[in-house]
Amino acid sequence: MMMEKKYGVEVSQKEAEEIKSTIRTAYTRLIAEYIERMKKGWPNRPKVMDYFYEIADFKTREKELIEAKKEGKKVIGYTCMLAPIELILAADAIPVRVSSGWYDPAKIGNRVVPVEVCPVVRSTIGVALVGLSPFLELSDVLITPLTCDGMTKLSEIVGDYKPVWTICPPRLKSMDQAQAFWREQLIKLKEEIERFTGVKITANRLKSAIKLTHRATRTFRRLQNLRKGRPVIMGRDAMLVNQTAMWDDLERWSMKAEELCMELERRAKENVWACSPNAPRVMITGTPIIWPDNWKLPNLIEEAKPQGVIVADELCSGDRFLYDPVGVDEGTMDDLLDAIAERYLLPSTCPCFTSEKGNEDRVNWLVNRVKEWNVGGVIYYVYRGCMLYAMEYMRIKKALDQLNVPVYYLDTDYTREDVGQIKTRVEAFLEMLEARVEI
Amino acid sequence: MIVAGIDMGVQNIKIVILHDREVIAKSIIPSGFEPRRAAEKAFEEALKEAKLSLKEIQHVTATGTGVEMAPYADSTISMIAADAKAGVFLYPSARTIIDVGAEESRVVVCDEKGTVLEFAINERCAAGSGAFLEAMARALEVRLEEMGALSLEAKGTVSINATCVIFGETDVVSLIHKREPKHEIARAIYDALADRITSIAHRVSIRPEVILVGGVAKDLGFTAALKRKLETEIFVPENPEYAGALGAALHAMNKAGGR
Repeated sequence: MMMEKKYGVEVSQKEAEEIKSTIRTAYTRLIAEYIERMKKGWPNRPKVMDYFYEIADFKTREKELIEAKKEGKKVIGYTCMLAPIELILAADAIPVRVSSGWYDPAKIGNRVVPVEVCPVVRSTIGVALVGLSPFLELSDVLITPLTCDGMTKLSEIVGDYKPVWTICPPRLKSMDQAQAFWREQLIKLKEEIERFTGVKITANRLKSAIKLTHRATRTFRRLQNLRKGRPVIMGRDAMLVNQTAMWDDLERWSMKAEELCMELERRAKENVWACSPNAPRVMITGTPIIWPDNWKLPNLIEEAKPQGVIVADELCSGDRFLYDPVGVDEGTMDDLLDAIAERYLLPSTCPCFTSEKGNEDRVNWLVNRVKEWNVGGVIYYVYRGCMLYAMEYMRIKKALDQLNVPVYYLDTDYTREDVGQIKTRVEAFLEMLEARVEI
Repeated sequence: MIVAGIDMGVQNIKIVILHDREVIAKSIIPSGFEPRRAAEKAFEEALKEAKLSLKEIQHVTATGTGVEMAPYADSTISMIAADAKAGVFLYPSARTIIDVGAEESRVVVCDEKGTVLEFAINERCAAGSGAFLEAMARALEVRLEEMGALSLEAKGTVSINATCVIFGETDVVSLIHKREPKHEIARAIYDALADRITSIAHRVSIRPEVILVGGVAKDLGFTAALKRKLETEIFVPENPEYAGALGAALHAMNKAGGR
């Protein structure tokens, strides 16, 4: 049963099919090209990277999800990393992040919202309108955390195409009532998931789910720690490994990522580098960089002259995704839920949060990364339409100035037409970092 | 030692030929639809002025938006690095170089050696560049070369908002309809551009001395407005439009092993 559409925008079957076929063809080519470029940029990569390239192609996972659904499994999509995947896993359902990293569908999203709106939101609306994204289409229901304004309205709009469960994080996360407010919503979400899947989420089931994400988190951290030293992995490859965790089977992902880490640790001992150890060490912060189109920036940094290497990021689509573990994997249901609520709220550095000291958690994360990962320069990446990241720039710049680490504000959009312009800027920034090292 | 720098700008191609640290020739030619051919012609002119042949140039460094189309280039350098090198060469005490070109504006902070420490560039929009002035002069029906002097007669009684070239024109037209004096509108136009440049400048930590280069630096109306907004002294070198080419030539000098 389909409810009446609140926003009422529809695309005719014929047009949708046309758009779908054009964009799909273009993207099959684009993904193949980007993977080819990554392979070329890291000729001595470990063999296991081929696994992640395959998962990056979406198709393998799409087939698996179709099979799983045939067996009666539910797929639960989510638009933002504040959605607690442990609750999904505990109900034997499959979590998958559905925010769109494709540029072209943003144009279709413009039929519903103005161009000033965040392009991730516009693109996600676009793919929903024409049924373009395999993961969104396969999702039986979506969890939509109401973090920023864009995500809040996106929740309503995609609600025209899929059932949605909203969860609303408190913007003042340190407030006394905040944790209780947030926990309340996760309990409600848990009940929704139970009703929908018909699986009762027992403490034991939740513990197993936490154990699974713990394993993933351990591996995830291990990989990021490997990026502290001289480069054993190209940054864009590490970013891709990180991101595939958002749609891959988490257990298999952990296994493959462990294999990768083992090989990289061996290489670190044997001084086998992925690129020149003198390459400027770059960190990216700002709006989420979502595969595949958003690889525009990582590609430019690591293919530039002089070549840079991305050693860390502060992105919800990257280093932040699995970095923090749920605090406990034992105890009563109450303990477990407390721990899950904390895990998703407290460590988040998203600029939708504030406190008496502003978004200090983000500043601390960045300062720590800069020091521990030996970052030479930071690229502050903002696509037009993300007010929160754009507005927080001056504060972050001030903090980085105090560390004497240069930061470059790079504004862009969901478009390929500014590649030339960005290339010039990125190369000038890397040139500058190189010159600083020489001083 | 003789070297050359070429700046492949959006609107004009500029060439500077250096003999050691002295500029011995320069040329400027509109980029047109065939920038490569225009660049070759610019070389011809500069070489003629220097009474040299191409073979006698030991190294050519290219910079600018169209850098990939530059002929004879032995090396390239970013526009940001070129600005810093030229700024410190022209004024040894320069630490901030503001370059306002036809379609791009940059603010570069550097040290005494001309090494870039920080930079910012206008957002993806022509409202922060020379193109804005051209469009506004058209709307105001004055020649761009006259608009600067005209604006200096104004006291500052009206303002416009340069968020977009297209809407800026609408703003100007409505001021004309309100019968605001032309010189006041002219000043408002310069203030609007200077506001944009100031907000770019505040993205970095600007420090004295501040040097203004690029084609727009020749416009008295703009330099006056920028001084007002930044509340600081601003130095404009002779021939500011050659800064990029000069920076490239200085890089060529280093590459060729000169001082």
